[in-house]
Amino acid sequence: VDMATQLNLSDSDSSDLSDQSVFTRRSNRSLRIAEQERRKKEEEDPFVLALKYFSEVEAGTPVTGNDELENNLVRVEKVAFSRGLSPEAISVMLDFAMSLRMGNPCARVLKCLLPASVVPQEAVVRAIVWLTVRKLPISTQTLHFLVLVLFQCPFICHLLYLLTRKENGKPGFDIYFSGRQPYLLYLLSLYKVFCPELVTLSIPSRMKSGFKNHISPWKSALITVQKRNDMQVASSISLAFAVRDKTASRKRKHAHLELPSLSPVTITEPQAAQSSSRKLVPMQQIQSFAQLLQNMHRIELPAQMGSLLGSSLALQYLDCVQDESALLRLNFWLGYTLHEEFLFCSDGGANKNPEEALQFLNRLLSVQHFLQEGFNSSDAFMYKFLNVWDGSLLRPQILGLLSNIPVIPSSQIKTLLFDPLMQLFFTSSLFFKCGLIECLNHMLLKWLTWHSAYALEDDLDISLNSHTNITLSGFKDSVMELVHFVGRLASVGLQLEGCHSLLLSFILDFYETVCDTFLKFGLPLVVMPPPGVFYPAFFAADPVSVDRLAFIMHRWETIHLVQSKPWNWYLEYLFTQGFDGLKDFVQNSINQRVMMAGDGCDNVTQSQKLGSAPHIKQPLLS
Amino acid sequence: HSGVVKRRSKSQSYRRSIRTCFGVASGLGLTPALTARRMNTSRKAPRSQNITEKVKPEHLELLVKTEWQLSYVTPLYQFRHTQLKSYSRQLSAFIAAEKQEGLAVEVGGLQNTFKVSFSVLQGLAETSDDPETVLIQVQSKPMFARQEDPPKTVWCGWLSCINGNPEYLQSLPKDFTCLPLFCSKGAEDLSSLVKSWLQRTFDCCFGPLDINQTTLQWLAALWTNCHMETNIQNLKMIWTLPVLPPLQVTYTVDSDDVLDLWRSTRESSAEKSREAEDEVCIDFSEVTRFMQGLMSHFYRHFRVDLSAGELNQVSSALGSAKVNGKIKISSSRYLISIFSLLTECALLKMPI
Repeated sequence: VDMATQLNLSDSDSSDLSDQSVFTRRSNRSLRIAEQERRKKEEEDPFVLALKYFSEVEAGTPVTGNDELENNLVRVEKVAFSRGLSPEAISVMLDFAMSLRMGNPCARVLKCLLPASVVPQEAVVRAIVWLTVRKLPISTQTLHFLVLVLFQCPFICHLLYLLTRKENGKPGFDIYFSGRQPYLLYLLSLYKVFCPELVTLSIPSRMKSGFKNHISPWKSALITVQKRNDMQVASSISLAFAVRDKTASRKRKHAHLELPSLSPVTITEPQAAQSSSRKLVPMQQIQSFAQLLQNMHRIELPAQMGSLLGSSLALQYLDCVQDESALLRLNFWLGYTLHEEFLFCSDGGANKNPEEALQFLNRLLSVQHFLQEGFNSSDAFMYKFLNVWDGSLLRPQILGLLSNIPVIPSSQIKTLLFDPLMQLFFTSSLFFKCGLIECLNHMLLKWLTWHSAYALEDDLDISLNSHTNITLSGFKDSVMELVHFVGRLASVGLQLEGCHSLLLSFILDFYETVCDTFLKFGLPLVVMPPPGVFYPAFFAADPVSVDRLAFIMHRWETIHLVQSKPWNWYLEYLFTQGFDGLKDFVQNSINQRVMMAGDGCDNVTQSQKLGSAPHIKQPLLS
Repeated sequence: HSGVVKRRSKSQSYRRSIRTCFGVASGLGLTPALTARRMNTSRKAPRSQNITEKVKPEHLELLVKTEWQLSYVTPLYQFRHTQLKSYSRQLSAFIAAEKQEGLAVEVGGLQNTFKVSFSVLQGLAETSDDPETVLIQVQSKPMFARQEDPPKTVWCGWLSCINGNPEYLQSLPKDFTCLPLFCSKGAEDLSSLVKSWLQRTFDCCFGPLDINQTTLQWLAALWTNCHMETNIQNLKMIWTLPVLPPLQVTYTVDSDDVLDLWRSTRESSAEKSREAEDEVCIDFSEVTRFMQGLMSHFYRHFRVDLSAGELNQVSSALGSAKVNGKIKISSSRYLISIFSLLTECALLKMPI
């Protein structure tokens, strides 16, 4: 039958279009066929049929035992929970629910009103009209869901504002209510977010927990649908109904590690509010980068700056607008949190909740990575913390924070950095040594990158006060100090660990970066590995280390500008030193083997071999 | 609102780094010996000051003879001494709303449960950099009170900065008000509500201010020194010793005897003591020697070495101080000097 229908249609159409070209006729026909097929599919689609049912069902149809109603409702629910309902579907369902054609709108119908995109304005208006006209007795739970659905519509708050505004812009209604009406409170708290100056109410913060039981499955279903449709989760939901996991933290006395909520400023200076012609947009209303750019000049920072650490948009904004007060506020909060959690705790605070501390530091690290620099307060904290750190608590995070420290003037670098690190280094495990060398490697890299990023600035003569005059040479001094320090650490570390190849690998990584100081970053520095690093690499048992040393040598050889043959000079220097470094290396290797092995004879043979090995051949020096 | 977007310059970054480094390097140290170096190692001996002319008698009555719980506060952002009435209204509504679940409370509306008043406690700020002290009082009617009964003060607290470090105070931008010392007394839940409101409104942070060993020793020495002018009756110290079961030692020394010990300690540092009477400076080394004298005296009698334990409390007729951050001042004469010391302790806790 279908085929016949199609043929008939195409025949009748072709007779009308006889004067068109064959090609267009054919393409038109295929378009029409596609259109018809689609329409047919839609008409047969159970979901569409169900919607049709709900829009056409008569008032008074019995509810209980009505299989048709049940089936259609199931179909609608299926679609709703998988991909959400289109605006038209929402319209139809909401209309059905509110018009009470089939009794009281049951929560089930409202529960499935999960929007795929938006809730249309007209549906909202109609729903409110039904509410007011019919004066229906609605149960609390139903009303909860209704409120939630309505608030999916972005216009609802504007609507509220319009409804409640008097001529002169002041609010035109007072809220009098007695007893507990939590849903109205939620409405108000949400309203307060958008128009804080109109809601001069103090809303208790604890009431939000009451809503949780009803709506959290619904809320999670909504989030799933929206995520599936690749939408940004509506912030209005998360704003008012955010249920923070307070189970653990409520018990704690000091809940430092929680980021404060992103809330707008509650007290506005009276003169500022009236006189400013432009309305400031609170930060929490900014949802996307495009919005940020649009409102760049009138963004209002939140009441508590610590909340910005949770939002990358906000951080981007902060990075651009160099507001000293804002940064200082953020630094105060951050410094306070770090100090309280790790430095001032007398009862081993960090040990009590290591999970939260870990998450907090990870977030801080990701923020620093995002901004490509650290914070004053975290630097100050690090300098203090290094003196009391045991080297194992949250090691990767602490080393990560350490590598983000900016350039330290060479007069301070010893007390602030080297002394505590030396203490930690020599009393730690192999893995810590490796970690620290890697951290210092990253630190050097970041210093060099910072220098090259600002290399265009000629004005490098910075005098803070009479006894600090930082110039380019000051930066060079700091880098030089750092490299020499790592050299010292590496030499002794390799001795202590018996030239362990893992440690050697990290150290050679560092020296590759040192090569880069001149080659990549243009800083006129040439620093060779000290004897304590050179010999272990040169005589290493594994070929990889020797290869890497050779690579470093090769890179230096390509520098013709600085000194014609730096390796020559280096080896001459080794020679003049009487090969003390080599003697140390050999002696140390012997001692290591004696300590480690149990069998005596083998040791003797080994040591004899080592004793006779080091005849430095002439070609090396030429 | 600043619309100028300028790229951070290298010199700015460098300057910030330098400032952090020098700031920390000058104050580095968490072991007791180094902490002493960071705190002022010498301070002027407190003179008896009659501050009844500067401070209203009803305020003084409020401050003395009360045990205060101490906290430190980071600087408050956009706190205006001119907006205290508005703050009172906001905080009243906040407390009322938090205390009664399920009701939103209108700001400025009539509610009889809690009444908060913010006021300026004038006379305590010593230098021109010190902001004025702010007093917060929460009053409420008890449960079964009659209508005509006046509301009772159920909670009281004050924020102050007395003789704060001028360098630090001047280094803060104009928007910030530094009132690092917070003293409170009253119900714990009200304290946390007030703190929470202040945190949200002025973006500041509250932390407990413990009175550490160094400060307690300072107080012991300073109060002993005050005995020259005012009778302190006796110096009482409470130590705890780390034994099982924990041993608590209450060591009370008669005032004249302890003054003799103090004087003999000071005389041994002969060069310093020949100064004009109104500029007597006490060095921390003298304080240490004084404490050692006390402890060795105790050891001689009881064979218990108090230096193995911890000093928990120091008290005299002039006041008492406990290690968990509780302080009581019994005489208004030395109020300023004691709270200057405590302001210094609070400023040391500032993260940057």
